[in-house]
Amino acid sequence: MVQQIHVEGHEAFMKTATEHKGKLVFALFSSSKDGAGSSWCPDCVKAEPVVKECMKFVPDEAVFIECGVGDKPFWKDPNNIFRKDDKLRLKCVPTLMRWGTPQRLEEEQCADSRLVQMLFEDE
Amino acid sequence: MQSNLAYFVTNLLVVLGVLVHMLRPLTKSSHKFASFKGVQRLLTRCKSDNSIPTKKYDLVVVGGGSGGLACSKEAATYGKHVAVLDYVEPSPQGTKWGLGGTCVNVGCIPKKLMHQAALLGEAVQDARKYGWTVPENGIHNNWETMSSAVQNYVRSLNWGHRVQLQSKNVEYLNAKGYFLDNHTLEATDAKGRKKRIVADNFVVAVGGRPKYTEIPGALECAISSDDIFWLKNKPGKTMVIGASYVALECAGFLTGLGFDTSLMIRSIPLRGFDQQMAHLVTDHMASHGTNMLWKCVPESMEKLSDGKIKVTWKNTETVEAGSDIYETVLMAVGRAPETTKIGLDNTEVQLHASSGKILGEHGGDLERSSVPHIYGIGDILEGRPELTPVAIKAGKLLAHRLYGNSTVQMDYDKVPTTVFTPLEYGCVGLSEEEALDKYGEDNLEVYHAFYKPLQYSVAERDASQCYIKMICDKEGDQKVHGLHFLGPHAGEVLQGFAVAIRCNLTREIMDSTLGIHPTSAEEVVKMHITKRSGLDPTVTGC
Repeated sequence: MVQQIHVEGHEAFMKTATEHKGKLVFALFSSSKDGAGSSWCPDCVKAEPVVKECMKFVPDEAVFIECGVGDKPFWKDPNNIFRKDDKLRLKCVPTLMRWGTPQRLEEEQCADSRLVQMLFEDE
Repeated sequence: MQSNLAYFVTNLLVVLGVLVHMLRPLTKSSHKFASFKGVQRLLTRCKSDNSIPTKKYDLVVVGGGSGGLACSKEAATYGKHVAVLDYVEPSPQGTKWGLGGTCVNVGCIPKKLMHQAALLGEAVQDARKYGWTVPENGIHNNWETMSSAVQNYVRSLNWGHRVQLQSKNVEYLNAKGYFLDNHTLEATDAKGRKKRIVADNFVVAVGGRPKYTEIPGALECAISSDDIFWLKNKPGKTMVIGASYVALECAGFLTGLGFDTSLMIRSIPLRGFDQQMAHLVTDHMASHGTNMLWKCVPESMEKLSDGKIKVTWKNTETVEAGSDIYETVLMAVGRAPETTKIGLDNTEVQLHASSGKILGEHGGDLERSSVPHIYGIGDILEGRPELTPVAIKAGKLLAHRLYGNSTVQMDYDKVPTTVFTPLEYGCVGLSEEEALDKYGEDNLEVYHAFYKPLQYSVAERDASQCYIKMICDKEGDQKVHGLHFLGPHAGEVLQGFAVAIRCNLTREIMDSTLGIHPTSAEEVVKMHITKRSGLDPTVTGC
């Protein structure tokens, strides 16, 4: 059973990723939802159901971390920590990645079920 | 072969089965009855070969390298049902890699990055003269940091190609392709699962792999270019054997990274390239720390108890024997095409007798083999430059001809290239030897110049081998047949001139073009001293 964890912010993400060091970890970085559950990023909204549907392709022993990056003003700052951190270097949201590898999908790629499946299944 | 054997065995079992069936009434023993059932079971197992799933495509490309990927993606833009097979047989030392072929994984890309790593080491030394504070005890390269950064980039390219193929609707099969006949391919994946594939057209783009010499110990002790970029531990004291650009480039960056590096050359450096330029390249390497072993041939290699390798050799000129101990031995003695293991002998595709490459130029199509619907592109094709841009272009043009009603053939003429040795050598067109052979000494004029890159001045660097040469007609508008540039950023310098040569560049046009100042490239347009004049070709003044 894939372990699914939701975190908010960079610090929480890095802490969780470190806790699961040595395991197969996937991470989805999306816009954080507001109090009413709405997302400010349209691509993230499109990607969400696709990624959920493709969870069946994630190997059982993997950990899936869903990370909210923050609100729109925070994200738009070109020096925000998600963009600057060497291990992340996020260029956009949504970004779906196999943590610790160069394998990632960005923006509309995250809403392409064939690409998402390929990312989850690649050996 | 396999189907013939199955056919024979099936027939034999039928005969045996009939015999057993005939003999059955003669005995009441249940033993004979059981063996007939066994024969039936065997018959069923042999026939099941035909139940391997078969899939049909418009185009199947065998090999996911520079040529294969370009061809398949281009064909897919025409809405064709295309598949690419890519499979990496591990090197003798066990190295393997992802999608993208030689260039991406064990060629151009990691090579250029490691060459750059070495150049940066030199640049930091120069920086002192330009006023930067650089540690007195020198700077050191960390192989693990450098190589893992390079490997990480290569992996991102592997992934990028996966995403591209998927996005362009090209089916990717991580499987080894093996031709069963002119129309059928068997694809076997890493787990041994097989698929049958038929297609209207096949493109063979499997490239080549490094050759190993037959000297005792080579296979166990030595690595090749397939391994050097993926070494987990630093290579240490290294012996590079070979005179190809692979050998020179590897020996070059290893020296630059600070390793005690030797280069063993049997006869001439860079066979096929202009020899004057080739020797300037090796002169530079010799004066910049690479230990050159000229006219030597390796005789044996032996792994010692501490893991190091003892290499023995013979100097063919002095007949002296030599030996030394190295941490790494890199063989770069040539490459062999991957045509032997893909079942081409089950097809009517003709291969070149000595190179083993696919013979093209059938039916007026430069890439068509002797089988009309089987093509070859890239390093696998006989008689063509083994370069990524050549493979890519040939692949794309082939797709246009197959599906786009184009008749444009590949132009293999005037292909520019650059050898990324510590001092880079770029060239386009004919070597001086080729030009002399083709046109004769009386019909040619060779302009040349020794120049000094401006940045070398403050850095107090030796520019003895910075040299340019232009070979053109002696009379008339003096068409340029070949241009050779030895110096920093040779590839960047030469690219524009390659365009000019394709536009039938003449000496007059070159001469009338103003230089960009101050650059090394401007020395190309400023050349005016001929070899024939005997004058000193050293550039002086501003």
